Amino acid sequence: MSTLKLDNVTVSRGAGPVIRDVSLRVDSGSITALVGPNGAGKTSLLESISGVIDPSSGDIRLDDEPLGKLSRVKRARRGLVHIEQGRAVFPSLTVEENIRLTARTQAGVDEAFDRFPELAKRRGNASGLLSGGEQQMVVLARAFASRPRFLLIDEMSLGLAPVVFMRLLPMIEQISKDGVGVLLVEQFTHLALGVADTAVVAASGRVTYQGDAATLKNSPELLHRAYLGGAP
Amino acid sequence: MLAVCLTLMARLVRVVNFSQAATGMFGGFVAVWLVSNAGMPVWLATVIGILIGGALSAIIGWIIATWLAEADTSTRSAVTVGPLLLLISLSFILFGNKPQPFRPILAGPAFSVGGVVVSQVTVVTVVLAIVVAVGCRIILAKTSAGTQLRALSERPTTAELLGIPAKLLSVGVWTVTGMISALVVSIVAPSQSNDATSLAMLIVPAAAAALLGGFRRLDLAVVGGLALGILQGLVAQIDQISFVRNFVPFLFIVGFLLWLQRKEVWDASR
Ligand SMILES: Nc1ncnc2c1ncn2[C@@H]1O[C@H](COP(=O)(O)OP(=O)(O)OP(=O)(O)O)[C@@H](O)[C@H]1O
Ligand SMILES: [Mg+2]
Repeated sequence: MSTLKLDNVTVSRGAGPVIRDVSLRVDSGSITALVGPNGAGKTSLLESISGVIDPSSGDIRLDDEPLGKLSRVKRARRGLVHIEQGRAVFPSLTVEENIRLTARTQAGVDEAFDRFPELAKRRGNASGLLSGGEQQMVVLARAFASRPRFLLIDEMSLGLAPVVFMRLLPMIEQISKDGVGVLLVEQFTHLALGVADTAVVAASGRVTYQGDAATLKNSPELLHRAYLGGAP
Repeated sequence: MLAVCLTLMARLVRVVNFSQAATGMFGGFVAVWLVSNAGMPVWLATVIGILIGGALSAIIGWIIATWLAEADTSTRSAVTVGPLLLLISLSFILFGNKPQPFRPILAGPAFSVGGVVVSQVTVVTVVLAIVVAVGCRIILAKTSAGTQLRALSERPTTAELLGIPAKLLSVGVWTVTGMISALVVSIVAPSQSNDATSLAMLIVPAAAAALLGGFRRLDLAVVGGLALGILQGLVAQIDQISFVRNFVPFLFIVGFLLWLQRKEVWDASR
């Protein structure tokens, strides 16, 4: 089993720290939901894990090996795949080209289309012209085809209707059941907590709750307090 | 030809490479030196010159990919003026300011149309430009490296997050375009005013031609290069205005920019 482990990670941006002293762990085959109000520093935290920015202090380990100054490309090659906020398709590339970028073999491409059959019909279309939900499906399929060990997903639902996002969630669950560790940043808190094993709430730059996802989902009062920045 | 290189660079590695002709010029000069001072055969010297052109371009590309990876196109492009000036001065120091005794690789007329003689050099450069443009299109459309390059040019960060080796690929593009430029310079230099500055300034007509394709369309860049060449040739035929020959590219750039602007103003006023 693999683990992704953060120890007292602080991330700064321009003016100063945006998120402080985060310690968490994601195990392979499980989903950890990271939720919290806008500006809590969720995106910044994911970026520090994938190497888009350097954390100002703290330690990030993949299977007990510190990631240190490893480049984004090398982190991706080790199976740490970050799905960025927004629609991260390459718009002029076709659906199939997007997937081929990570699949590398024809068998890998076929497997991705088996898993995401709705995309198979659109394989020759420019991915920039698909609907928002379809584009996010391309992004998921592309991540799936790269055979990740850990997936960092940043607000996949952004700009989607809840019903559309609810069709994507089972696909994320399935990927995690294959043994992938998922760190899921979401604004649709209840939907995310519904599929997650563990939950982390970040508010005003700190972790304000960390524990069982179901407990948090079933206690509106606890969730409310965490969002307002109450003590963990 | 150089216009095709410029277009490729602008599209794939987000830079308008002002040193495009200069790296080629320097490679060409080394080749000339090898022939006249070391008695090397012309073909071998030319190959070495091309490799040096590619290497110089790769170094500039590596520097930009390392320290200016996140910078915008204007900053990255501005930085390439540095190597342009550096290479011109270095050529003066190493090879003096006289035109270089380039041995023509190709000489003589190919055919003539209505009294205008078309030289072999012209034919070969035009054919080469078309071959390179078509070749690049095929590589970009059909190969996996081509797909990776297109992905990289659209969303560089996303590409890296998927494990696409951004730096390696962009230095590769710099190397290839650098080699092509050196080849072009070696072919056209014998029939040109071939001192360092004139050759390095071949970048101006190249930019004019690339501009026609908006630094994106390879086919239009080839067409632009052809049109500009014909225009220059015609102007040179007419005695009274033949002195403006060298200003044609400038006029073309200014004219084109003004025309674009007019369109924008028109769009805005709608
Ligand atoms: N590139 C940047 N430069 C400077 N400050 C930034 C940058 N990006 C984000 N910030 C600041 O960092 C803080 C955290 O932003 P971040 O995007 O990580 O939050 P978030 O939790 O992902 O928010 P959201 O839910 O809106 O996506 C914000 O106060 C934001 O203004
Ligand atoms: Mg965010």
